[in-house]
Amino acid sequence: MNVEKFSYDNQSPKLFAIATIFWGVVALLVGLTIAVQLYVPALSFGLPYTTFGRLRPLHTNAAIFAFVGNAIFAGVYYSIQRISKARMYSDILSKIHFWGWQLIIVSAAVTLLSGITTSKEYAELEWPIDIAIAVVWVVFGWNMIGTLVKRREKHIYVAAWFYIATFVTVAVLHIGNSIELPVSFLKSYPVYAGVQDALVQWWYGHNAVAFFLTTPFLGLMYYYLPKAANRPVYSYKLSILHFWTLIFIYIWAGPHHLLYSALPNWAQSLGTVFSIMLWMPSWGGMLNGLLTLRGAWDKVREDPILKFMVVAVTAYGMSTFEGPTLSLKNVNAIAHFTDWIPAHVHVGTLGWNGFMTFGVLYWMIPKLFNTKLYSKKLANAHFWIGTLGIVAWVIPMWWSGITQSLMWKQFTPLGILQYPNFLETVLQIIPMYIIRSIGGLLYITGLLMLVYNLVRTMKIGSFVKNEEASAPALVLANNKPQRGMYHRWLETKPIMFSIVATVVISIGGLVEFLPTYLIKSNIPTIASVKPYTPLELQGRDVYIREGCNNCHSQLIRPFRSEVERYGEYSKAGEFVYDHPFLWGSKRTGPDLARIGGKYSNMWHYLHMQDPRQMSPGSIMPTYKWLIDSKLDVASTPAKISAMRKLGVPYPEGYENQCIADLDKQANEISDDLLNSGIVVEPETDIVALIAYLQRLGTDIKKGKIAEK
Amino acid sequence: MKINKIYFSMISLLFFLFGSSNLFAESNSGGRQIEAIIELMVALTILVVAVVLWLALVYSEKNDLEGSTLLQPLKNMIHNLTKSTPVSEESKILLDHDYDGIRELDNKIPPWFSFIFAGTILFAIAYMINYHVIGSGNVQEEEYAAEVREAALQKKMLSASGALIDEETVTFVDDPASLSEGKNIFTKNCAACHGKKGEGLVGPNLTDDYWIHGNRINDLFKTVKYGVVAKGMPTWGKQLSPTQIQEVTSYILTLHGTNPPNAKAPQGKLYEYKKPGAKTEKAGSEQEEVKKNI
Repeated sequence: MNVEKFSYDNQSPKLFAIATIFWGVVALLVGLTIAVQLYVPALSFGLPYTTFGRLRPLHTNAAIFAFVGNAIFAGVYYSIQRISKARMYSDILSKIHFWGWQLIIVSAAVTLLSGITTSKEYAELEWPIDIAIAVVWVVFGWNMIGTLVKRREKHIYVAAWFYIATFVTVAVLHIGNSIELPVSFLKSYPVYAGVQDALVQWWYGHNAVAFFLTTPFLGLMYYYLPKAANRPVYSYKLSILHFWTLIFIYIWAGPHHLLYSALPNWAQSLGTVFSIMLWMPSWGGMLNGLLTLRGAWDKVREDPILKFMVVAVTAYGMSTFEGPTLSLKNVNAIAHFTDWIPAHVHVGTLGWNGFMTFGVLYWMIPKLFNTKLYSKKLANAHFWIGTLGIVAWVIPMWWSGITQSLMWKQFTPLGILQYPNFLETVLQIIPMYIIRSIGGLLYITGLLMLVYNLVRTMKIGSFVKNEEASAPALVLANNKPQRGMYHRWLETKPIMFSIVATVVISIGGLVEFLPTYLIKSNIPTIASVKPYTPLELQGRDVYIREGCNNCHSQLIRPFRSEVERYGEYSKAGEFVYDHPFLWGSKRTGPDLARIGGKYSNMWHYLHMQDPRQMSPGSIMPTYKWLIDSKLDVASTPAKISAMRKLGVPYPEGYENQCIADLDKQANEISDDLLNSGIVVEPETDIVALIAYLQRLGTDIKKGKIAEK
Repeated sequence: MKINKIYFSMISLLFFLFGSSNLFAESNSGGRQIEAIIELMVALTILVVAVVLWLALVYSEKNDLEGSTLLQPLKNMIHNLTKSTPVSEESKILLDHDYDGIRELDNKIPPWFSFIFAGTILFAIAYMINYHVIGSGNVQEEEYAAEVREAALQKKMLSASGALIDEETVTFVDDPASLSEGKNIFTKNCAACHGKKGEGLVGPNLTDDYWIHGNRINDLFKTVKYGVVAKGMPTWGKQLSPTQIQEVTSYILTLHGTNPPNAKAPQGKLYEYKKPGAKTEKAGSEQEEVKKNI
């Protein structure tokens, strides 16, 4: 047999690992900051860049794409070479991938802090960065599948199946959700509107969780856990079953983010039932992980790496049971829009992603530096303080979510809301916010221990840039599928495997999206719903820029308690001109779907200037800079024209008229404010924002009046 | 073995179909939601306990289950649920796969896993049929309508029970049924002190224009409900329902000007008589004005 000599590239995993640690610290510090801002609103310093609305997307993007993203790449670049018995396909592609990804992260941080955002959760980045992500992602896939193609191992291991699914699905999701029409270099509108935009967004958002936070980490689990435990994987059959069912079913479950929304009922029901069916495929991964440790539990007691992995896999099992539970409509009716959802998410991110990453890093860094971990004791301390941190983070948020939700829904015996003032329900849960931030602080303390421990480890070791290895060349002679061995055969065909995976993950999205897009009856139109005026459109963009949707929903669910509190429940036809939709996913503040006409212009002005003037105790940051900042009036014609291209019925040539109309409406508002003794320039962000807020949810009422 | 398989499929099927009686789309009342949560929490707790017990058994390799007859049925059941090959015999199912030193076993897919998975698929089918084939498909609109109906019904029942009536909200009623009921109540409870015709006895005359505690129905309601214990008027609020107090006070107001024989001399202040039910009778300031006039 012809044994070939080659070397593993350790430079890429090392760089990605260092980036993981660095961005992890950044992401967690931003997270801690916004956690504290919820009870010390002064911590936004009255600056646009440091408000919750801008920092929260920075936190989620940094945590998901910078921390977890780099961890995936570090783990993949290390493991895929070894399970393929081959060096990475191309060192140049590896370099482009690494530096390209870091550049994307930096540009994301800069743009998000500047208020450049699409508003779509976990897809906030604007179109030039979207293109860069697509390019770098393809570089990653090319490099990875290239490595699999030139492998020396006959079959591709289950870890690689998950890596492949990750690559193809994230590519499909990212491109599908980012189809947007540029208005200018850093501004775009999505082609979908309202309900359709919501469906696409949560098809993406849900599966970003699935294929960025779940499948790549299952892949990592399948390599690092048996390596660290030195035990065989429990069941190959289970691997096959749970891999294919997981990727097929996951993609359907997106609508469970939109239960009781204006999404058609049938799509909501599909979201629910596929989430229920997702339970066992998810647990398949947990079982294969935990049962691989059979006969190695004595090791778990001593080895901090295995401890991290066991808690990670357990957290995965917990959150994948909680997920289907939350998808039941009667549970969702309580949990949605509350702190229960961040609690659920953080079991996954802090427990599953965080702890698995820590386990991988503690295992891999000493290997890369050909040494032993600097301090096992410190890693153990990290494990315990991190676990305590997760518990202190999650449990108060469960309670806070249930408490607030029940307060929202509580009626007096006489049939009126017990807590009609939203703020009262916020003040009730402030103590839980405080405990949560302590949990976050503990978790960060643990991470800093890891930083110290690994830096010392790197110092005592010596980095092995190219690790020598040898393996026989791959001979694929007479490679035909045999009866009952089709899957084994597919495992020898990485490109075929990728294509089959792509087909499997495409079905669910298409079945849900196409009817919603094509069949008119799914979104009944409402005659009185009209496009936004130019000033309102600009105000909407101010709303997006400031990230108001991070704390305020614009979706009234068909519950008596919500109709009583906010007004008529939201109808699909109300959102047909909303590019993008702004339903939001969390009510840190009250819903704004029908805020229009509820308060005077002066109220909004004073409330933006300092929310505590109007609502003592409010936790909203101040937005006083909106009063002085000039509205970007010049962009109006381009925005009108872009909206018309997307199907919003502005008349031809309205571009020439729109600025005059904008000024007229702005003058009306500034005159009205002047009557109340407030002097404000008409062409300011505050005036546009007030115009938008005053419009929200009012069209449907005009229809009612017309009917009468 | 076959019997076991059937047995477990039956159990998991029943678990899903019974446990999901309303298939979890409903959100009508807060109470039911909380019950649902509690049910789920209980189910979760049982599940976690079961899993822990199971893990403890599977991994307690030091516990020699072989010799224990007591645990034998449990052991059999666990074996039938997991079909797991013991660690000591795993070389028999070790596949020839070797990836960077990682080997793979060929353990069977645990039957409990397959049963629950099949159960969730059945649940999904039942759910879709229940709401979108048998049902109209307008799931949330119908739920909302039901919720609003239920609230309206509750309110109606509440107002029928009279629980909504108090000294602030009470109004004069003049339908014959109420007044005759009021007369009954009067005869049974009030006549002893105020006379059969309200002419006054121990208590004051209720037919003239002089009142100690005001002459609006609200005033009368308050006096009856809370009583004037110092002067011997009992507290009726615990014996008569708000509706009954409304009826009896309305009846009393109809006695005005009936000039019964043996009328007791006026007590209290003179109040201008207003025909009961007239809209003007509500403001407290008017009462003040009347007082000033005297």
